[in-house]
Amino acid sequence: MQSRIDHSDLMRYLDGELTPEERERIEEQMERSTELQRELAVYQAMKSDLQNLTFAPVPVGTSVWSQVNRRLARPLGWVFLTVGVVAWTGYAAYLFVTSSAAVVEKLATSAVGIGIILLLATVIFERYQESLTDPYRDVHR
Amino acid sequence: MHPDVERELILKCQAGNSQFYEPLVRAYEGPGMRMAVGMMGNVDDAKDALQEAFVKTYRSLRRFDLSRPFGPWFFQILRNQCRDMLRSRRARFDRESLDERLELRSDEGTSSPSRRREQSEAKDLLWQGLDRIGEEHREILVLKELQGLRYTEIAGVLDIPEGTVASRLYHARRALRDALEAMGARYP
Repeated sequence: MQSRIDHSDLMRYLDGELTPEERERIEEQMERSTELQRELAVYQAMKSDLQNLTFAPVPVGTSVWSQVNRRLARPLGWVFLTVGVVAWTGYAAYLFVTSSAAVVEKLATSAVGIGIILLLATVIFERYQESLTDPYRDVHR
Repeated sequence: MHPDVERELILKCQAGNSQFYEPLVRAYEGPGMRMAVGMMGNVDDAKDALQEAFVKTYRSLRRFDLSRPFGPWFFQILRNQCRDMLRSRRARFDRESLDERLELRSDEGTSSPSRRREQSEAKDLLWQGLDRIGEEHREILVLKELQGLRYTEIAGVLDIPEGTVASRLYHARRALRDALEAMGARYP
C-alpha cells in the first residue's frame, strides 16, 4: 500500500526536490484528490507571487565594496596610529626626564601635561556615558 | 563565480590581501541584498546589515574551511547579522522605504496604470504578510523564494537538518497564507 502524501512531500514536490519516482507517486495520488490539487494550486500561486518580488537593478557605482574596504582598512590605521603615538610619547618623555632642565620647569610642564590628559579623559568618559542613553545614537548621518 | 576561482580568492584573502575580497563582495552583494531586504524589510537597514556581514565574513575568513562552499557560509553570517540587528532594535521590519526600490518583475514598463496599481497593491500585501509572519518563517521563505536556494543550501544557511527544511517551509507558507487571507487576499 502506498503511503499518503504529507505536507513535507507537497513542499518538496512544489520546490522540485523529489526524485522522478517520488514525483510520479505524488502525481498519481494527486490525480485522485481534488483537495490536494487545490492546496498545491494555492502554494504555487503564492510561490509565483513571492518570486516576482524583485529589485530594480542596482545602479553602477552603488556597490557596498567601498564602504567595506574602508572598514577593513580602518583597524590597520588605528594600529599604526597607536604604535606611533606610544613610541613618540615614550621617546618625548625619556628626553624630558633626562634633559638638563630645572626641576621646577619639569614639574610645571608635567602638571600641564597631566592636566591635559585628565581633561581629555573626563571628556571622553562623559561622551561615552551619554552615548549609552542617547536616543539618536541609531540615527544614521 | 566558479568555485575554483572563489577558492583562490579566499586563499589570497587568508594571506592578508584584502584587495582580492572585492570580486567576492561584488559577486555576492546582489543576492545578499535580496536576502537582507527580505529579512529587514527596508533597503537602508539591509545595506547596513550587508556591509557589516561582509566585514565580519572577511575577519572570519582565516577560520573558513576551504572544502565548503563560500555562498551558504556567507548567507549564514548575513542571516545572523540581520537577526542581531532586528533583535537589538537597531532596526525593525519596515516596508516604508521599499516602494521606490522594489518592483514586480512582470510587465515592467509595458503595463497599464491600472495593472501597475494592482501589482503594487499585490506587492504591498505580500510585504505586509511577510511582516506579520515573523522572523523565523520569513527567513526560510526569503532563502527559498527570493534567493532560490535548494533545500541542502537552506539547511546549511539555517544550520538545520535537511529533512526539516520541507516541514519548516510548509509552516512558513501556511502562516503566510493565513496572514494574506486574514488581510482579504484570496488564492485559487
